[in-house]
Amino acid sequence: MKEGFRQAMAWLHTWTGLIFGWLLFAIFLSGTLSYFKEEISHWAQPEVRSHALDPLASLGLAQRYLEANAGHSASWMIRLPSEREAALGVGWRDPDGGRRGVVRKSLDAQSGQPVQARDSRGGDFFYRFHFELQMPYPWGRWLSTFCAFIMLLGLVTGIITHKKIFKEFFTFRPGKGQRSWLDGHNAIGVLVLPFHLMISYSSLVLFMYMVMPAGILASYGGNTNGYFNDLFGRDEVPKVANVATPLVPLESLYAKVQEQVPGARMGFIQVQNPGDRSARVTFTQSAADNVAYKRSASWTFDGATGALLSQGAPESAAMMTSFSFAGLHMGNYAGPWLRWLYFAFGVAGTAVIGTGLVMWLGKRQLKHAKSERIPGELRLVEVLNIASMSGLLLGVAAFFWANRLLPVGLEGRGNWEINSFFLLWALSLVHAVLRPGRRAWGEQLGLGALAFALLPLLNALTTGQGLNHSVAAGDWAMAGVDLTALATGVFLAWAAGKMLRAPKPVAKRAPRAAKATAEAVEVS
Amino acid sequence: MLSIALIGFAGFAALCLAMEKHFSDVLGRKPKAGQLRSLRLAGWLLLTVSLVLSVHQRGWAHGLVEWIAVLMAGVTLWVFGLPYQPRLLLGAAALSLILGPLLALFAG
Repeated sequence: MKEGFRQAMAWLHTWTGLIFGWLLFAIFLSGTLSYFKEEISHWAQPEVRSHALDPLASLGLAQRYLEANAGHSASWMIRLPSEREAALGVGWRDPDGGRRGVVRKSLDAQSGQPVQARDSRGGDFFYRFHFELQMPYPWGRWLSTFCAFIMLLGLVTGIITHKKIFKEFFTFRPGKGQRSWLDGHNAIGVLVLPFHLMISYSSLVLFMYMVMPAGILASYGGNTNGYFNDLFGRDEVPKVANVATPLVPLESLYAKVQEQVPGARMGFIQVQNPGDRSARVTFTQSAADNVAYKRSASWTFDGATGALLSQGAPESAAMMTSFSFAGLHMGNYAGPWLRWLYFAFGVAGTAVIGTGLVMWLGKRQLKHAKSERIPGELRLVEVLNIASMSGLLLGVAAFFWANRLLPVGLEGRGNWEINSFFLLWALSLVHAVLRPGRRAWGEQLGLGALAFALLPLLNALTTGQGLNHSVAAGDWAMAGVDLTALATGVFLAWAAGKMLRAPKPVAKRAPRAAKATAEAVEVS
Repeated sequence: MLSIALIGFAGFAALCLAMEKHFSDVLGRKPKAGQLRSLRLAGWLLLTVSLVLSVHQRGWAHGLVEWIAVLMAGVTLWVFGLPYQPRLLLGAAALSLILGPLLALFAG
């Protein structure tokens, strides 16, 4: 009975893993890149220079710019530069212009002048792809949420299937073919399990309103905006009084927030009805300051008198729990070293999925090792494996190359970067169909190695902000992307080398005793 | 946080060596009576100490999260490095055992 249950779980693990593995691989890889969303955006728009942070000066610059250029608008938004984001972001509501009725500008944090940066979605592309999969709303969100559920299912069934979770906790035996793949798959899965569980469970929490909408529909009817206003503690916008009143200097309000929470960093500042007697200014604390999102960490001022009107409503315990999961998932609170760990664990999650896909095929290919041709369905899995893994990496490389090579004045430039990503991904599928398995792997990984390893050079040649410049200037976001690309290139070159060399016949299992003594001799 | 990472790393190394299979593989000899048990005890003790230090230094929210993060990173490094560089990792674990507490005492 018990074995039957375990077998059923193994079956579920194997088949859901295969069907959703290809998509999950892409979701995990793009999510991993999203931990460096701002850094990638900075790399993608090298025209935006980073300066030493000075929130007060930045606020003054933003206010002056908006008063001069958006005095007519009903609502302003300001994002102060941070350790991770060089630009001073301003935006204003304008029914006639911009995406979704909002005009956005990046200002230089020192001069306050708009920066003419190249059109690029930067890190935001990977971030959006991670949960929208480039599909129209709401289908992409549904599909990625479903994938998160499958991932959670895969983890639970994987743990049940893995019989010796404690006995083999520390076990990794390289150089033994399928055995090593399974060891690797299990070890990364088990050792980084807290991260995997947190990530897949919290994705369900993040999209709770899509997974379990019944409660919201019952209480709010069709008015989902009402739900989000209540959830995030947003106030209604006050009516315009039509009495022109100058806005108080935002710096003075910033100082008042600092009195309340010394050292708080501000993420987002919104001004409603600027220049009117009914003006409201809301400061929201940066998500970098707390693990959980905190709706209480916002302060609303009367924009005409500068009086503090209200603070965000406190969170209930249930809210704190789900906001904590959301915060843990996105990792906005993480400083540099923890962010790198997040990135590494993201790579680990991607590797668990990748090794699983490789093993599914490897196990079944063994049965056909003697025959000339492998059955069609295995060949299909092989092609999809190649395109979904090495092909996706080529797509990512294409995005970065397009960012540097497309002419700056090109119409719809940002979209062409994305098109390059998908174009190369599609081409890799064609290539995988045309070439035999190992060759296809080797060639795609080899091309990926070149593309990533040469990216720092391309950056240096096209922008003059290569490693020699960025390291000297202490621009670690720029240098970090370059160095990570270089490291990826080296890793892919190693993998390509393995694939292009003829496969080594896997040694027959040595008798246990002999092996133990051999290893003992080796060590001592 | 480095001190906590080092103490946790040493803790997992001890727990790994507390398994007979790994003890004889890595050290090249059979464990003496009681050795495995004291290793296991030391391992759990080190993990507990690192948890207490982490929560003490960084509070519950950050402390717990960062403790889990550095522990996962350390044990992954240990498991995947061990087959290739057993001596190096043993040395690193021994060094962590000394450096970790020293850092915790003098650097806060």
